[in-house]
Amino acid sequence: MFDFAFNSLGEAIYMNGHGIYVWSVVALVLISLLSFFIGYNLKIKKLKKKFNESN
Amino acid sequence: MKYLGLELLKLRKKTRSWLGPILVFWLIMIAYPLTIEASQENLEIGFFSVLWIAILLSMMFATEDIFTEDYNDGTLEQTLINDTSFAYQVALKVMIHWLLIGIPISLLSFIFSLGTNGNLSLSLLILPFAMMSSYIFLNLFVLGNALSLNKGSVLGAIITLPMALPVLIVLGKSITAIQLEINYSGFIFLLLGSLSIIIVSVPIVVSYIIKAHLE
Amino acid sequence: MIKKFIHQFASPKTYLFQVERAYKFILFFSLVVYIVSLIWGLFFTQEDFIQGNSFRIIYLHVPASFLSQSLYVSMALASFVYIVWRVKLAAYLVISIAPIGALTTFIALTSGSIWGIPTWGTWWQWDARITSTLILFIMYLGLISLHSSFSNYEKADKLLSWLAIVGAINIPIIKKSVDWWSTLHQPASITLTDKPSIDPSMLYPLIGSMIGFFGIIICLVIISSKYQILIREKNKSWIKEYV
Repeated sequence: MFDFAFNSLGEAIYMNGHGIYVWSVVALVLISLLSFFIGYNLKIKKLKKKFNESN
Repeated sequence: MKYLGLELLKLRKKTRSWLGPILVFWLIMIAYPLTIEASQENLEIGFFSVLWIAILLSMMFATEDIFTEDYNDGTLEQTLINDTSFAYQVALKVMIHWLLIGIPISLLSFIFSLGTNGNLSLSLLILPFAMMSSYIFLNLFVLGNALSLNKGSVLGAIITLPMALPVLIVLGKSITAIQLEINYSGFIFLLLGSLSIIIVSVPIVVSYIIKAHLE
Repeated sequence: MIKKFIHQFASPKTYLFQVERAYKFILFFSLVVYIVSLIWGLFFTQEDFIQGNSFRIIYLHVPASFLSQSLYVSMALASFVYIVWRVKLAAYLVISIAPIGALTTFIALTSGSIWGIPTWGTWWQWDARITSTLILFIMYLGLISLHSSFSNYEKADKLLSWLAIVGAINIPIIKKSVDWWSTLHQPASITLTDKPSIDPSMLYPLIGSMIGFFGIIICLVIISSKYQILIREKNKSWIKEYV
């Protein structure tokens, strides 16, 4: 169950021609999640700064 | 009965409100053949899709100002505080709209279907589907208009349009079943069942939504 | 008694202080589980006999697809709690979950489209399941636009809650659409009652990625709700203490 499914890392990235689809989905998920995390954290930081300034 | 007569009178007097959607439907059905090569086969291919979408759009227009006037002149607030159930009055309003707009459009659907494919039995079957689907669409768009009461009808239509799309899927599948002479009664019962739930639940939900607006 | 219980433990202040403590733990645990499952699925499972290596998108697509529907259901539940018991926190959660739900639905749609190219030869097919997911995405956007069009927050919360409850009818249609209509879409591999139709070597990383993704989305909802609470409760005295 835990055998590496490819002969090399290059093959793992290429994935018999399907690598572009798989890795583009990985990138999509990563970018989407990161942008939301970073976006919300920046908004909260901005709000906290605003509260501290008004106090 | 008093409210039924009152709503009927109100809608009849506003000719634009009931005639407008019927004319829109008519225009869409007339415009359709102008967009393609008008051979019989070509007309039949896309006809039913255009028909259901035309009914959908007509019902959207029919509910455009269903509450706006009453909201602006304070009638809604008066209706809310009187003895009769507000949900019941909303249900009556929707039914009147369906009687004056939905039924004529359903009859026109039958006529256009007969004219396009010449099949009397198929066209007769269109009638119950058109009647049920127009009532369902009316209820859904009434819900949308209640949500976006003084924010314009476009927002309400956009919000509730996704809920109307499964109905379109069922309508499409039912036409395929009729044309292939497969048992289509399941689709009739599905629409009937959906309608029976919507006809009761939507006026109740709309009454709560309008109360939220007026608080 | 139920009302007293709910009001005691569902105050925005209590919620905020509680989730602050749990957040880092949940995030760490979820990230570990998700990354391990992804690495397992991407590099250590054998390729599918029919789909080849493109099947590995399952570890990203299926959790997003499952979550997109679950988040709507949780929105509908929170809306119900708000309408019945008037719990403010429930309203904040409804508006917090909506953008996250839209995100997961977007991920499900785009990853499904990309997966469709090598598998079905097309990036889009108007079948019931895909169309219903697209409808769900539009519904999320409709919810967000409805709430943002009202300046009175209380009115917006009530209307949003009603719309979320009514829209929840779409969820069983999506779930059952694969069974009701013959479609191009693969039937559900994992069901509640039947044995899974997927091989265990593929199943375990899938379950792991679902758990990990679920945890990550919970963390996103926590941050989103934190932001909502800060905006809505900004005039309360306890906010100064928190900030």
